Amino acid sequence: MNHLNDINTLIACKHCDTVANSPTLTAGESALCPCCGYTLFSRKVDPVNRTLAVSLAGLLLLIPTVTLPIIGVGVAGKYNDATLIDCIMLMINADFYIIAFSVFLFTIAIPSVRIFSAFYLSYRIKTKQLSTSLLTFYRSYHLFDSWTMIHVFFLGVIVSMYKLISLDELIVGSGLVSMLLLLFCSTLISITLDQKLIWDLLEHELEPKS
Amino acid sequence: MNLNQKAKALNLGCCPCCQKVNEMTERKQRCSRCHHQFSQRKPYSLQYTFAWTLAAIVMFIPANIYPMMVFYTLGRPEKSTILEGIASFIQQGHYPIAFIIFLASFIIPLGKIIGLLILLYNTKSYSRISKKKQTQMYHLIASLGPWSMLDVFVVAVMAAVVNFGFFTSIEAGAGITYFTLMVIFTIFAAESFDPRLLWDIERRNTNDR
Ligand SMILES: [Zn+2]
Ligand SMILES: [Zn+2]
Repeated sequence: MNHLNDINTLIACKHCDTVANSPTLTAGESALCPCCGYTLFSRKVDPVNRTLAVSLAGLLLLIPTVTLPIIGVGVAGKYNDATLIDCIMLMINADFYIIAFSVFLFTIAIPSVRIFSAFYLSYRIKTKQLSTSLLTFYRSYHLFDSWTMIHVFFLGVIVSMYKLISLDELIVGSGLVSMLLLLFCSTLISITLDQKLIWDLLEHELEPKS
Repeated sequence: MNLNQKAKALNLGCCPCCQKVNEMTERKQRCSRCHHQFSQRKPYSLQYTFAWTLAAIVMFIPANIYPMMVFYTLGRPEKSTILEGIASFIQQGHYPIAFIIFLASFIIPLGKIIGLLILLYNTKSYSRISKKKQTQMYHLIASLGPWSMLDVFVVAVMAAVVNFGFFTSIEAGAGITYFTLMVIFTIFAAESFDPRLLWDIERRNTNDR
Protein backbone atom coordinates (compact mmCIF):
# COMPACT_ATOMS: atom_id res chain seq x y z
CA MET A 1 0.00 0.00 0.00
CA ASN A 2 1.40 3.38 -0.92
CA HIS A 3 -0.36 5.37 1.75
CA LEU A 4 2.94 7.07 2.51
CA ASN A 5 2.77 9.08 -0.67
CA ASP A 6 -0.75 10.31 -0.21
CA ILE A 7 -0.70 10.78 3.57
CA ASN A 8 -1.41 14.47 3.06
CA THR A 9 -4.68 13.72 1.30
CA LEU A 10 -5.92 11.58 4.20
CA ILE A 11 -8.01 12.73 7.09
CA ALA A 12 -8.74 10.82 10.29
CA CYS A 13 -11.78 11.25 12.52
CA LYS A 14 -10.68 12.23 16.02
CA HIS A 15 -13.75 10.60 17.55
CA CYS A 16 -13.71 7.11 16.03
CA ASP A 17 -10.26 6.95 14.32
CA THR A 18 -11.71 6.22 10.86
CA VAL A 19 -9.43 7.16 7.96
CA ALA A 20 -10.94 8.74 4.86
CA ASN A 21 -9.73 10.55 1.76
CA SER A 22 -9.93 14.27 2.35
CA PRO A 23 -12.60 15.67 0.00
CA THR A 24 -12.29 19.02 -1.76
CA LEU A 25 -15.00 21.32 -0.47
CA THR A 26 -16.31 24.66 -1.59
CA ALA A 27 -16.90 27.46 0.92
CA GLY A 28 -19.73 26.72 3.34
CA GLU A 29 -19.56 22.93 3.03
CA SER A 30 -18.64 20.41 5.74
CA ALA A 31 -17.15 16.94 5.49
CA LEU A 32 -18.75 14.34 7.77
CA CYS A 33 -17.17 11.17 9.10
CA PRO A 34 -18.53 8.13 7.19
CA CYS A 35 -18.43 6.05 10.36
CA CYS A 36 -19.69 8.13 13.30
CA GLY A 37 -21.18 11.13 11.50
CA TYR A 38 -19.22 13.89 13.26
CA THR A 39 -17.83 16.82 11.28
CA LEU A 40 -14.31 16.12 10.05
CA PHE A 41 -13.72 19.69 8.91
CA SER A 42 -15.58 22.50 7.20
CA ARG A 43 -14.75 25.21 4.71
CA LYS A 44 -15.88 28.64 5.86
CA VAL A 45 -17.02 31.61 3.78
CA ASP A 46 -14.42 34.41 3.73
CA PRO A 47 -12.80 33.14 6.97
CA VAL A 48 -9.88 35.54 7.38
CA ASN A 49 -11.72 38.85 6.96
CA ARG A 50 -14.74 37.76 8.98
CA THR A 51 -12.66 36.40 11.87
CA LEU A 52 -10.55 39.55 11.85
CA ALA A 53 -13.64 41.77 12.13
CA VAL A 54 -15.40 39.69 14.78
CA SER A 55 -12.31 39.17 16.95
CA LEU A 56 -11.43 42.88 16.81
CA ALA A 57 -14.93 43.70 18.01
CA GLY A 58 -14.54 41.06 20.74
CA LEU A 59 -11.23 42.53 21.91
CA LEU A 60 -12.75 46.01 22.18
CA LEU A 61 -15.79 44.66 24.04
CA LEU A 62 -13.57 42.96 26.64
CA ILE A 63 -12.77 46.31 28.28
CA PRO A 64 -16.35 47.49 29.01
CA THR A 65 -17.39 43.93 29.96
CA VAL A 66 -14.78 43.80 32.70
CA THR A 67 -14.96 47.39 33.96
CA LEU A 68 -18.63 48.45 33.68
CA PRO A 69 -21.23 47.40 36.28
CA ILE A 70 -23.16 44.24 35.39
CA ILE A 71 -26.16 44.70 37.66
CA GLY A 72 -27.17 47.10 40.39
CA VAL A 73 -29.66 46.74 43.25
CA GLY A 74 -31.25 49.23 45.60
CA VAL A 75 -32.56 48.36 49.07
CA ALA A 76 -34.16 50.96 51.39
CA GLY A 77 -32.63 53.96 49.67
CA LYS A 78 -29.16 52.42 49.38
CA TYR A 79 -27.78 51.49 45.97
CA ASN A 80 -25.01 49.07 45.09
CA ASP A 81 -23.71 47.79 41.76
CA ALA A 82 -21.06 45.26 40.86
CA THR A 83 -18.62 44.80 37.99
CA LEU A 84 -16.93 41.55 37.02
CA ILE A 85 -13.80 42.76 38.83
CA ASP A 86 -15.90 43.43 41.98
CA CYS A 87 -17.12 39.82 41.95
CA ILE A 88 -13.52 38.58 41.88
CA MET A 89 -12.21 41.07 44.46
CA LEU A 90 -15.03 40.23 46.87
CA MET A 91 -14.26 36.52 46.61
CA ILE A 92 -10.57 37.23 47.33
CA ASN A 93 -11.50 39.33 50.39
CA ALA A 94 -13.73 36.53 51.66
CA ASP A 95 -10.81 34.05 51.30
CA PHE A 96 -12.48 32.05 48.51
CA TYR A 97 -9.34 32.01 46.40
CA ILE A 98 -10.31 29.04 44.24
CA ILE A 99 -13.60 30.70 43.29
CA ALA A 100 -11.92 34.04 42.56
CA PHE A 101 -9.31 32.29 40.45
CA SER A 102 -11.86 30.22 38.50
CA VAL A 103 -14.08 33.23 37.79
CA PHE A 104 -11.04 35.18 36.58
CA LEU A 105 -9.73 32.29 34.49
CA PHE A 106 -12.99 31.16 32.87
CA THR A 107 -14.63 34.52 32.22
CA ILE A 108 -11.71 36.89 31.63
CA ALA A 109 -8.32 35.24 31.07
CA ILE A 110 -9.13 32.30 28.80
CA PRO A 111 -11.71 34.11 26.62
CA SER A 112 -9.22 36.99 26.18
CA VAL A 113 -6.41 34.67 25.13
CA ARG A 114 -8.74 32.84 22.77
CA ILE A 115 -10.07 36.01 21.10
CA PHE A 116 -6.60 37.53 20.93
CA SER A 117 -5.14 34.41 19.26
CA ALA A 118 -7.95 34.46 16.69
CA PHE A 119 -7.30 38.15 16.01
CA TYR A 120 -3.51 37.86 15.85
CA LEU A 121 -3.65 34.80 13.57
CA SER A 122 -6.08 36.36 11.10
CA TYR A 123 -4.08 39.58 11.12
CA ARG A 124 -0.82 37.77 10.34
CA ILE A 125 -2.48 35.70 7.62
CA LYS A 126 -4.11 38.79 6.13
CA THR A 127 -0.77 40.62 5.97
CA LYS A 128 1.01 37.40 4.89
CA GLN A 129 3.51 37.38 7.76
CA LEU A 130 3.67 33.76 8.80
CA SER A 131 6.21 32.44 11.29
CA THR A 132 6.69 29.37 13.47
CA SER A 133 5.59 31.33 16.55
CA LEU A 134 2.05 31.27 15.13
CA LEU A 135 1.99 27.49 15.65
CA THR A 136 2.28 27.96 19.41
CA PHE A 137 -0.39 30.63 19.29
CA TYR A 138 -2.80 28.49 17.33
CA ARG A 139 -2.18 25.48 19.56
CA SER A 140 -3.21 27.57 22.57
CA TYR A 141 -6.45 28.44 20.80
CA HIS A 142 -7.29 24.72 20.59
CA LEU A 143 -6.28 24.01 24.18
CA PHE A 144 -8.79 26.40 25.71
CA ASP A 145 -11.85 25.37 23.73
CA SER A 146 -13.76 23.76 26.62
CA TRP A 147 -12.76 26.31 29.26
CA THR A 148 -14.50 29.48 28.10
CA MET A 149 -17.53 30.13 30.27
CA ILE A 150 -18.82 33.58 29.33
CA HIS A 151 -22.14 31.99 28.31
CA VAL A 152 -22.50 30.28 31.69
CA PHE A 153 -21.65 33.49 33.54
CA PHE A 154 -24.24 35.37 31.49
CA LEU A 155 -26.92 32.85 32.41
CA GLY A 156 -25.71 33.12 36.01
CA VAL A 157 -26.39 36.86 35.97
CA ILE A 158 -29.89 36.26 34.57
CA VAL A 159 -30.59 33.71 37.34
CA SER A 160 -29.31 36.17 39.98
CA MET A 161 -31.68 38.80 38.62
CA TYR A 162 -34.55 36.36 39.12
CA LYS A 163 -33.43 35.85 42.70
CA LEU A 164 -33.15 39.59 43.36
CA ILE A 165 -36.39 40.63 41.67
CA SER A 166 -38.13 41.05 45.03
CA LEU A 167 -35.76 43.87 46.03
CA ASP A 168 -36.80 47.52 45.71
CA GLU A 169 -34.67 48.33 42.70
CA LEU A 170 -32.94 46.16 40.09
CA ILE A 171 -30.93 47.73 37.29
CA VAL A 172 -29.37 46.03 34.27
CA GLY A 173 -25.89 47.51 33.94
CA SER A 174 -24.14 48.44 30.69
CA GLY A 175 -21.55 45.76 31.50
CA LEU A 176 -24.19 43.08 30.98
CA VAL A 177 -25.12 44.47 27.54
CA SER A 178 -21.45 44.50 26.59
CA MET A 179 -21.07 40.95 27.94
CA LEU A 180 -23.94 39.78 25.73
CA LEU A 181 -22.25 41.33 22.69
CA LEU A 182 -18.92 39.77 23.70
CA LEU A 183 -20.62 36.39 24.02
CA PHE A 184 -22.04 36.90 20.55
CA CYS A 185 -18.57 37.70 19.13
CA SER A 186 -16.89 34.81 20.92
CA THR A 187 -19.48 32.38 19.52
CA LEU A 188 -19.16 33.89 16.04
CA ILE A 189 -15.40 33.33 16.08
CA SER A 190 -15.87 29.58 16.34
CA ILE A 191 -18.25 29.82 13.37
CA THR A 192 -16.09 32.02 11.12
CA LEU A 193 -12.62 30.67 11.94
CA ASP A 194 -11.57 28.05 9.39
CA GLN A 195 -9.39 25.70 11.42
CA LYS A 196 -8.26 23.50 8.54
CA LEU A 197 -7.48 26.46 6.31
CA ILE A 198 -5.17 27.97 8.93
CA TRP A 199 -3.38 24.68 9.58
CA ASP A 200 -2.97 24.05 5.84
CA LEU A 201 -1.66 27.57 5.31
CA LEU A 202 0.80 27.30 8.18
CA GLU A 203 2.02 23.91 6.99
CA HIS A 204 2.38 25.06 3.41
CA GLU A 205 4.18 28.31 4.22
CA LEU A 206 6.48 27.00 6.92
CA GLU A 207 7.60 23.77 5.31
CA PRO A 208 10.40 25.02 3.00
CA LYS A 209 12.11 26.93 5.82
CA SER A 210 12.18 24.11 8.37
CA MET B 1 -8.30 2.86 0.50
CA ASN B 2 -11.54 1.27 1.66
CA LEU B 3 -13.89 2.88 4.10
CA ASN B 4 -14.07 2.24 7.83
CA GLN B 5 -10.41 1.44 8.19
CA LYS B 6 -9.02 2.66 11.47
CA ALA B 7 -5.91 4.82 11.58
CA LYS B 8 -4.40 2.63 14.29
CA ALA B 9 -4.66 -0.47 12.09
CA LEU B 10 -2.77 1.36 9.32
CA ASN B 11 -0.07 2.51 11.74
CA LEU B 12 -1.28 6.07 11.33
CA GLY B 13 -2.01 8.54 14.09
CA CYS B 14 -4.28 11.56 14.09
CA CYS B 15 -2.84 14.62 15.83
CA PRO B 16 -5.34 15.65 18.54
CA CYS B 17 -4.43 19.31 18.07
CA CYS B 18 -4.45 19.93 14.30
CA GLN B 19 -5.97 16.64 13.06
CA LYS B 20 -3.11 15.95 10.70
CA VAL B 21 -2.61 12.29 9.86
CA ASN B 22 0.92 11.24 10.78
CA GLU B 23 2.71 7.98 10.20
CA MET B 24 3.60 6.60 13.60
CA THR B 25 7.28 5.68 13.95
CA GLU B 26 7.44 5.88 17.73
CA ARG B 27 4.90 5.36 20.50
CA LYS B 28 5.06 9.06 21.25
CA GLN B 29 6.13 11.53 18.59
CA ARG B 30 5.83 15.13 17.43
CA CYS B 31 3.24 16.09 14.82
CA SER B 32 4.91 17.06 11.55
CA ARG B 33 2.59 20.06 11.18
CA CYS B 34 1.99 21.61 14.60
CA HIS B 35 4.88 20.00 16.57
CA HIS B 36 2.46 18.86 19.27
CA GLN B 37 3.60 15.70 21.03
CA PHE B 38 1.03 12.94 20.82
CA SER B 39 0.37 9.18 20.77
CA GLN B 40 -2.14 7.15 18.79
CA ARG B 41 -4.41 7.16 21.85
CA LYS B 42 -4.33 9.56 24.77
CA PRO B 43 -1.75 7.98 27.14
CA TYR B 44 -3.20 6.39 30.30
CA SER B 45 -6.59 7.74 29.25
CA LEU B 46 -8.62 5.28 31.33
CA GLN B 47 -6.49 5.67 34.44
CA TYR B 48 -6.66 9.48 34.31
CA THR B 49 -10.40 9.50 33.59
CA PHE B 50 -11.07 7.11 36.44
CA ALA B 51 -8.90 9.08 38.87
CA TRP B 52 -10.53 12.43 38.04
CA THR B 53 -14.02 10.89 38.20
CA LEU B 54 -13.24 9.40 41.61
CA ALA B 55 -11.97 12.78 42.83
CA ALA B 56 -15.19 14.38 41.55
CA ILE B 57 -17.33 11.85 43.44
CA VAL B 58 -15.41 12.61 46.64
CA MET B 59 -16.01 16.36 46.14
CA PHE B 60 -19.68 15.85 45.32
CA ILE B 61 -20.45 14.86 48.93
CA PRO B 62 -19.18 17.96 50.81
CA ALA B 63 -20.48 20.14 47.95
CA ASN B 64 -24.01 19.01 48.83
CA ILE B 65 -23.62 18.95 52.62
CA TYR B 66 -22.04 22.38 53.20
CA PRO B 67 -23.98 25.56 52.40
CA MET B 68 -23.38 27.24 49.05
CA MET B 69 -24.65 30.62 50.18
CA VAL B 70 -25.28 32.45 53.45
CA PHE B 71 -27.98 35.12 53.42
CA TYR B 72 -27.74 37.71 56.23
CA THR B 73 -30.81 39.76 57.15
CA LEU B 74 -30.24 42.18 60.05
CA GLY B 75 -27.23 40.16 61.15
CA ARG B 76 -29.14 36.86 61.22
CA PRO B 77 -27.55 34.21 58.97
CA GLU B 78 -29.64 31.88 56.84
CA LYS B 79 -27.57 29.11 55.25
CA SER B 80 -28.67 27.18 52.19
CA THR B 81 -27.16 24.20 50.38
CA ILE B 82 -27.69 23.52 46.66
CA LEU B 83 -30.87 21.52 47.21
CA GLU B 84 -32.23 23.96 49.80
CA GLY B 85 -31.67 26.81 47.35
CA ILE B 86 -33.68 24.93 44.73
CA ALA B 87 -36.42 24.19 47.26
CA SER B 88 -36.75 27.90 48.11
CA PHE B 89 -37.19 28.69 44.40
CA ILE B 90 -40.00 26.14 44.17
CA GLN B 91 -41.68 27.66 47.25
CA GLN B 92 -41.53 31.10 45.62
CA GLY B 93 -43.05 29.67 42.45
CA HIS B 94 -40.04 30.27 40.17
CA TYR B 95 -40.33 26.84 38.55
CA PRO B 96 -38.25 27.43 35.36
CA ILE B 97 -35.28 28.82 37.34
CA ALA B 98 -35.58 26.03 39.92
CA PHE B 99 -35.46 23.54 37.06
CA ILE B 100 -32.42 25.19 35.40
CA ILE B 101 -30.43 25.23 38.65
CA PHE B 102 -31.46 21.68 39.52
CA LEU B 103 -30.33 20.59 36.07
CA ALA B 104 -27.05 22.54 36.09
CA SER B 105 -25.85 21.87 39.61
CA PHE B 106 -27.28 18.45 40.43
CA ILE B 107 -28.41 16.41 37.43
CA ILE B 108 -25.55 17.38 35.06
CA PRO B 109 -22.64 16.69 37.47
CA LEU B 110 -24.21 13.45 38.64
CA GLY B 111 -25.06 12.45 35.06
CA LYS B 112 -21.51 13.23 33.95
CA ILE B 113 -19.98 11.09 36.69
CA ILE B 114 -22.31 8.13 36.01
CA GLY B 115 -21.93 8.53 32.23
CA LEU B 116 -18.14 8.53 32.43
CA LEU B 117 -18.18 5.42 34.62
CA ILE B 118 -20.43 3.67 32.07
CA LEU B 119 -18.14 4.69 29.21
CA LEU B 120 -15.09 3.52 31.16
CA TYR B 121 -16.77 0.16 31.70
CA ASN B 122 -17.69 -0.07 28.02
CA THR B 123 -14.08 0.34 26.91
CA LYS B 124 -13.26 -2.80 28.90
CA SER B 125 -16.25 -4.99 28.13
CA TYR B 126 -18.33 -5.16 24.97
CA SER B 127 -21.63 -3.30 25.17
CA ARG B 128 -24.84 -3.74 23.18
CA ILE B 129 -25.27 0.03 22.82
CA SER B 130 -24.06 1.11 19.38
CA LYS B 131 -20.65 2.76 19.20
CA LYS B 132 -22.21 5.81 17.57
CA LYS B 133 -24.61 6.27 20.51
CA GLN B 134 -21.73 5.94 22.97
CA THR B 135 -19.69 8.55 21.08
CA GLN B 136 -22.70 10.88 21.14
CA MET B 137 -23.02 10.27 24.87
CA TYR B 138 -19.38 11.23 25.34
CA HIS B 139 -19.92 14.42 23.38
CA LEU B 140 -22.93 15.32 25.47
CA ILE B 141 -20.89 14.79 28.64
CA ALA B 142 -18.01 16.89 27.32
CA SER B 143 -20.17 19.76 26.06
CA LEU B 144 -22.33 20.04 29.19
CA GLY B 145 -19.29 20.41 31.46
CA PRO B 146 -19.07 24.20 31.80
CA TRP B 147 -22.80 24.63 32.54
CA SER B 148 -22.34 23.13 36.01
CA MET B 149 -20.45 26.27 37.00
CA LEU B 150 -23.76 28.16 36.85
CA ASP B 151 -24.47 28.09 40.58
CA VAL B 152 -20.94 29.26 41.42
CA PHE B 153 -21.32 32.29 39.16
CA VAL B 154 -24.78 33.02 40.61
CA VAL B 155 -23.34 33.10 44.14
CA ALA B 156 -20.36 35.23 43.00
CA VAL B 157 -22.65 37.82 41.38
CA MET B 158 -25.14 37.86 44.28
CA ALA B 159 -22.40 38.20 46.89
CA ALA B 160 -20.89 41.14 45.00
CA VAL B 161 -24.15 42.99 44.42
CA VAL B 162 -26.09 42.32 47.65
CA ASN B 163 -23.59 43.91 49.97
CA PHE B 164 -25.31 46.33 52.36
CA GLY B 165 -23.39 45.45 55.50
CA PHE B 166 -25.51 44.66 58.58
CA PHE B 167 -28.84 45.38 56.90
CA THR B 168 -28.69 42.64 54.28
CA SER B 169 -25.82 40.82 52.61
CA ILE B 170 -24.99 37.57 50.88
CA GLU B 171 -21.80 35.60 51.40
CA ALA B 172 -20.48 32.44 49.80
CA GLY B 173 -20.54 29.26 51.91
CA ALA B 174 -17.90 26.57 52.37
CA GLY B 175 -19.68 24.23 49.92
CA ILE B 176 -18.88 26.44 46.93
CA THR B 177 -15.17 25.55 46.94
CA TYR B 178 -15.91 21.81 46.93
CA PHE B 179 -18.52 22.32 44.25
CA THR B 180 -16.12 24.26 41.98
CA LEU B 181 -13.42 21.62 42.45
CA MET B 182 -15.95 18.92 41.57
CA VAL B 183 -16.92 20.70 38.33
CA ILE B 184 -13.27 21.23 37.37
CA PHE B 185 -12.48 17.56 38.12
CA THR B 186 -15.36 16.33 35.93
CA ILE B 187 -14.14 18.54 33.07
CA PHE B 188 -10.63 17.10 33.47
CA ALA B 189 -12.13 13.60 33.52
CA ALA B 190 -14.04 14.20 30.30
CA GLU B 191 -10.97 15.78 28.66
CA SER B 192 -8.73 12.84 29.49
CA PHE B 193 -11.17 10.27 28.09
CA ASP B 194 -10.41 9.13 24.55
CA PRO B 195 -13.62 8.24 22.63
CA ARG B 196 -11.58 6.20 20.13
CA LEU B 197 -11.10 3.57 22.84
CA LEU B 198 -14.82 2.87 22.53
CA TRP B 199 -14.30 1.87 18.91
CA ASP B 200 -11.19 -0.20 19.60
CA ILE B 201 -13.10 -2.82 21.53
CA GLU B 202 -15.57 -3.42 18.70
CA ARG B 203 -12.73 -4.10 16.34
CA ARG B 204 -11.16 -6.55 18.78
CA ASN B 205 -14.45 -8.39 19.14
CA THR B 206 -15.12 -8.73 15.42
CA ASN B 207 -11.59 -10.04 14.91
CA ASP B 208 -12.23 -12.75 17.49
CA ARG B 209 -15.26 -14.09 15.71
ZN1 LIG C 1 -15.84 9.34 13.04
ZN1 LIG D 1 -0.68 18.44 14.85
